[in-house]
Amino acid sequence: MNFLKKVKDTLKKIGEEDGKEGINSFLHLNPDVLKESEIIEKKIKSGKAGKLAGKIIAIKSNMNVLGMTANCASKTLENYKSTYDATVVKKIKKEDGLIIGMLNMDEFACGSSGETSAFGPTKNPINKELISGGSSSGSAASVAAGFCDISLGSDTGGSIRNPASHCGVVGLKPSYGSVSRYGLMDLSMSLDQIGPLAKNVENVKLMFEVIFGKDGKDATTFDVTEIPEHKKQKKTITIGLSKDFEKLCSDKKMYEIIKKKVAELAKKKGYKVVDVSLKHINLAVQAYYPLCYVEFFSSTRKYDGRRYGHKIDETCGPEVLRRILGGSEISQAEYSGLYYRNALKVKELIKQDFENAFRKVDFIISPTVPRLPHKIGSKITPQEMYSYDALTIPANLAGICAISIPISEINKIPLGMQIMAPAFSENSLFDISEEFEQIK
Amino acid sequence: MDFLWHRVSEKEKEDIKNQAREIMASFEKELKKVESEKVELGVRRKEQLRDETKTQCDPEFRKRFLENAPHKDGDLIKAEKGSWKLK
Repeated sequence: MNFLKKVKDTLKKIGEEDGKEGINSFLHLNPDVLKESEIIEKKIKSGKAGKLAGKIIAIKSNMNVLGMTANCASKTLENYKSTYDATVVKKIKKEDGLIIGMLNMDEFACGSSGETSAFGPTKNPINKELISGGSSSGSAASVAAGFCDISLGSDTGGSIRNPASHCGVVGLKPSYGSVSRYGLMDLSMSLDQIGPLAKNVENVKLMFEVIFGKDGKDATTFDVTEIPEHKKQKKTITIGLSKDFEKLCSDKKMYEIIKKKVAELAKKKGYKVVDVSLKHINLAVQAYYPLCYVEFFSSTRKYDGRRYGHKIDETCGPEVLRRILGGSEISQAEYSGLYYRNALKVKELIKQDFENAFRKVDFIISPTVPRLPHKIGSKITPQEMYSYDALTIPANLAGICAISIPISEINKIPLGMQIMAPAFSENSLFDISEEFEQIK
Repeated sequence: MDFLWHRVSEKEKEDIKNQAREIMASFEKELKKVESEKVELGVRRKEQLRDETKTQCDPEFRKRFLENAPHKDGDLIKAEKGSWKLK
């Protein structure tokens, strides 16, 4: 198919189905998109195009794309125009990926539902009454709605995997240190990762291959020059299931479906399935939020309305303010690390739990989200909202890689399966995810 | 409460602050359960220093950067003194 025509058709579809009355997944469209498409099309025809040529890509609004509006879905940065490209964006452009626009999200990535955006909630394309999940709400919804081939999101406690699960798409949280965060407006620097979302594993893998790697501008990135190859010589793959994850699922039916799918693949491929203990993951939410509050408070001090935007404390919504005020409170000397030290301790214990488990198994599998998405505007407590990420936060705290793939449906609502693997084993994740795709 | 975005009033700000305090206190109560477990904290790194990489300066950057500044005087950013304090 002619690439320019594909782009024009996509823009038409976005015009008809997105916007505030529609899915509301985009906040800003690239004004030069047709001009850039023509350049890419010429490259495709001449056979000199990069790996991402022909793909339409959309970016979460907390990443810098030169000249585009990166407002973090906040009034604080409403008119902020990026002055440079994030490293991931540079890599996409180098491989001739076409960036079509900037996506809606929870304000400053503070949220698990896609509702906290100052520009209105993102609706779930499967059922517009429901939340899309968050915080990378637009990243999942735009892919599910067919507005782009691949999107980028960021995942601090589940913000890629959670909306991927609710919208029925694939979302990868890469290992900590595998993808540069230079140019990402951070939520919690010790946990944030940028990762891809797409309708299939193939496109997620393609994007990961483009964006991963060491970057001199992000000191946390590791010198992994090649993605570790799947251990083909290993005869038997062992999958771990954990009762500790099962206990965290408020909807037991979900866990049963996941167990059945694991059993089905194991039978087909001759894999072993064993039980593993992860005894500290029941404290993941309680450890994550103090860390997140403190780091977020620290990172927001740059939004002082001097160099760009407005003062964040005067322009943000309630959830962002809750985290700023909470972070400020627990940063004060009188608490002297009371919250932070214990949270770090639990983080380390969870990391050790996973290290021990991965001595016995190659993968650990669970549902992605412990409950189905609620109706937009439902009244729930912050603790209930935070518990949406109870199954995804452990992977962030442990620094491992994890993927969410659509595996089934409950009452026509997509159900995501989360597959976790040791750090820098993304290729293994892709292999087994593709096997699950085939039995779906 | 719902999680839809809205402007926060001064009264609500106080409620949010108390709520954040309560949430953290409830989490801390749970986290205390691991106090007796021994854990070594700290970053394990082979090398403490990283290589510095040379970056090229973009001559257009200053112009683009200043376009975002709300108050400026030529190529200087104007900022008030001492009023930036968290209430």
